[in-house]
Amino acid sequence: MSIVTVQLGQCGNQIGFEVFDALLRDSHSSHGLCCKRENEAYQASCKERFFSEEENGVPIARAVLVDMEPKVINQTLSKAAQSGRWKYGQHACFCQKQGSGNNWAYGYSVHGPRHEESIMNLIRKEVEKCDSFSGFFIIMSMAGGTGSGIGAFVTQNLQDQYSNSLKMNQIIWPYGTDGVSLFLKVSERPGVVALACNPSTLGGQGGQIRKSRDRDHPGDLMEHLVPHPEFKMLSVRNVPHMSENSLAYSTFTWAGLLKHLRQMLISNAKMEEGIDWHVQPPSSGLPSLGKMSLNKDLHFNTSIANLVILRGKDVQSADVEGFKDPALYTSWLEPVNAFNVWKTQRAFSKYEKSAVLVSNSQFLVKPLDMIVGKAWNMFASKAYIHQYTKFGIEEEDFLDSFTSLEQVVASYCNL
Amino acid sequence: MRGRRVDPAAGARAGALPEAIAALSRSLPSGPSPEIFRRAKFDRPDATSALWQLLFRVLSPLPAGSALASIALEVQARLVKSALCSQGYPRLALAQLPEDGSQGSRELLLALSWLLARGPVPEQMVAQTRVPLGDEMTVCQCEALASLGPPAPHMETEGPVDVRHVQWLMGKLRFRWRQLVSSQQEQCALLSKIHLYTRGCHSDQSLGHLSVTEAEMLRDPEGGQQVSGAGAAQNLDLAYPKGLHFSCTPGMGPRTFWNDLWLVCQQPGLLPGDWAAPLDPGGASACSLLFPLRVLLRTLEHENRRLEAVLAWRRAELVFWQWMDTVLGTCAPEAPAAASQPTFLPWVPECGDGELELVVRELRTLEEELREAAERRRVAWEAKARGCGRGPEWSAARRACRETVEKELGALQRCWEQDRSPAQAHGPHRLVRREDGAAGDRDLRAAELIRTLRSQEACLEAMLRQLQGQCRQELARLAGALPGLIWIPPPGR
Repeated sequence: MSIVTVQLGQCGNQIGFEVFDALLRDSHSSHGLCCKRENEAYQASCKERFFSEEENGVPIARAVLVDMEPKVINQTLSKAAQSGRWKYGQHACFCQKQGSGNNWAYGYSVHGPRHEESIMNLIRKEVEKCDSFSGFFIIMSMAGGTGSGIGAFVTQNLQDQYSNSLKMNQIIWPYGTDGVSLFLKVSERPGVVALACNPSTLGGQGGQIRKSRDRDHPGDLMEHLVPHPEFKMLSVRNVPHMSENSLAYSTFTWAGLLKHLRQMLISNAKMEEGIDWHVQPPSSGLPSLGKMSLNKDLHFNTSIANLVILRGKDVQSADVEGFKDPALYTSWLEPVNAFNVWKTQRAFSKYEKSAVLVSNSQFLVKPLDMIVGKAWNMFASKAYIHQYTKFGIEEEDFLDSFTSLEQVVASYCNL
Repeated sequence: MRGRRVDPAAGARAGALPEAIAALSRSLPSGPSPEIFRRAKFDRPDATSALWQLLFRVLSPLPAGSALASIALEVQARLVKSALCSQGYPRLALAQLPEDGSQGSRELLLALSWLLARGPVPEQMVAQTRVPLGDEMTVCQCEALASLGPPAPHMETEGPVDVRHVQWLMGKLRFRWRQLVSSQQEQCALLSKIHLYTRGCHSDQSLGHLSVTEAEMLRDPEGGQQVSGAGAAQNLDLAYPKGLHFSCTPGMGPRTFWNDLWLVCQQPGLLPGDWAAPLDPGGASACSLLFPLRVLLRTLEHENRRLEAVLAWRRAELVFWQWMDTVLGTCAPEAPAAASQPTFLPWVPECGDGELELVVRELRTLEEELREAAERRRVAWEAKARGCGRGPEWSAARRACRETVEKELGALQRCWEQDRSPAQAHGPHRLVRREDGAAGDRDLRAAELIRTLRSQEACLEAMLRQLQGQCRQELARLAGALPGLIWIPPPGR
């Protein structure tokens, strides 16, 4: 059940490094809180899934690094090698000398096709190394030219060539960016899931989701959360949210953690601080029309499906009933089908207890709506269009993309 | 069962019946004792749960394994009922049996004999649980087409169904299907590797390499205990052979498998080529092979006993059918199946509360009224639609439609058959990797089969595209008929 990670662009490569590092650190951490045999199984499956083995025992990450300029890739490679615990493959990276000039169209229409063969070859080699290949994680940023432009192009190619494998896109969305084009292209392709993340917590979150249980197929996650072709966007939240240094001075209860997590879900909070506790699920007595307007007023976040991953001490006693409330979910899916929970005694890194929520819900509606609005204004006033048309992106492509994105926004709004 | 009018003089000696039933029992997996059958004739409750379980094993599409044992009796009973219903079982009394195993053993016995009369059940059961020594796959699709699908779940539509829910379920199916396809691909790749790496290891020159079962026996002699009836290595089409199911065992990844296999193949005297030679009991290397070989031998002997039981059953079954006639005779004659759906009234607890009785009465009157109203409307509708379903133009249109479909089907079949080599036999074939040109006359070549399948696939895809195009045109026409409507196609597949 191995996963190949494709790191694209500056952001993708930096984040990718953090994820692998966090994975291995967790794997070696001693506060496992579970029995030895379980710990060994956990470590073995982590290694097998994300790393391949070399002769001298240093694990090599199953990753392909792509960037149009060499600086970040070189930094990433050397950081990994310096850690001594793992490294990237020698021939697993592709870079050029020129960069993409922060232009999505340049990345997508020029760099993409030009370097398609080399990049796909690298990926194919990595896939062939896996005895049991399950899918791709594609890390890229919404901003910039390489990550987003080439990222979109590579994702499309992967969809064509590996149509039966799972693909999960982790899209880093730095606040305040208007990266419409990437989103449109990526969400158009089925089988590809967009996972918009907060960059600061991505390392830990990425590690946590990926390693939740030994025997889980990543397909389980996708099957539980994103089988519907119109609803393919996931968000990730985790608690507790604090630096590892302060952990020693804090204790947590499952009840407290889960309560916070649930409220983060309902009120669409991105971090644990500043949760709006006034937002509550609508009471079931209201007719559905009333429910929708009430939701809009109080910013209640309706979910389609949720997956909660609990790790740590006494995990069996954790009570997740709060997540099974039908009021949290849309009317056409029962909580018994919409909600899943994975539990494991094996704690993550230094966190005695931790909980992750992977959610398919309305969280992205507002931001998407906003950037579509902005993008449309720019499009209507023909600002920057020549940057795109210069490289072969026509106005019709824009219109198609806008339509698809509006459709996504509308589908999520109508939950 | 009515059709089997047997000669009463045949096989009517004392003791023939218990022997026949015993043979039947031995040939079925976990078959109940003849005593259970006897009790069932008299409708004794203690025979019920054993018969439910037997019917479940016979009707269940799942391969054998411990997973089956953990399914609750109620669930098994429900699945049995819906499976029998979908196969067209005529007796209504079975559908009305309680699912807790408290009564109805005679009905279950009748159901079992109905199944036995319809098809070669014991033979099918033996085929399902055998241990294939080689790696097999079937090339024809008859089995897949003939096998009845899993029993339909008990569906109750309460009101309109949200299409998004259906899309959700479709998406889940698609994910599962994709996982299945990629697992099969992975399995094929691994099989190929095993065949390649164990070249020259087999004593049988015509085969030349080990199969998965053989390789697994060498690699893991203690684990060879698993190579038996339940959880046995199965046909490629059905499930993972044990040797390829890596991810289940903690810590054992594909690398350890290859390491172990390599070590084993490297050691002198361990190759199966030496199996034929007399084993030196004192030699350590010989001992490590004895255990798995013994296990395999036991498994094969067990299979032989099942086969002999099947043969004995076939010789003695007349006696059984005579006896079943007597069982049927003891049943009360069944009322003819009601033409309309049985009415479902809400179940009201018998609390003796006067108000509840009133409610029940009101519900009944309401239901009567509704039924009459529905009947009136149905009659009116039929009168209105009478011209549509009948009449010369309608039947002509229907005939034309049928002819078109038959023509298309015929074209499709011809397109398939022209590429099919006549020598394709049915049933499983053993996979053997050979050098080019070394294949015998009666062997099927994988390349040819692949070509045939590819051309069939191309035909079907062309047909699919054509039908999709027709759908699209029709939708565009419908959308175009409404002015001001903008047609946004859904995101591409």
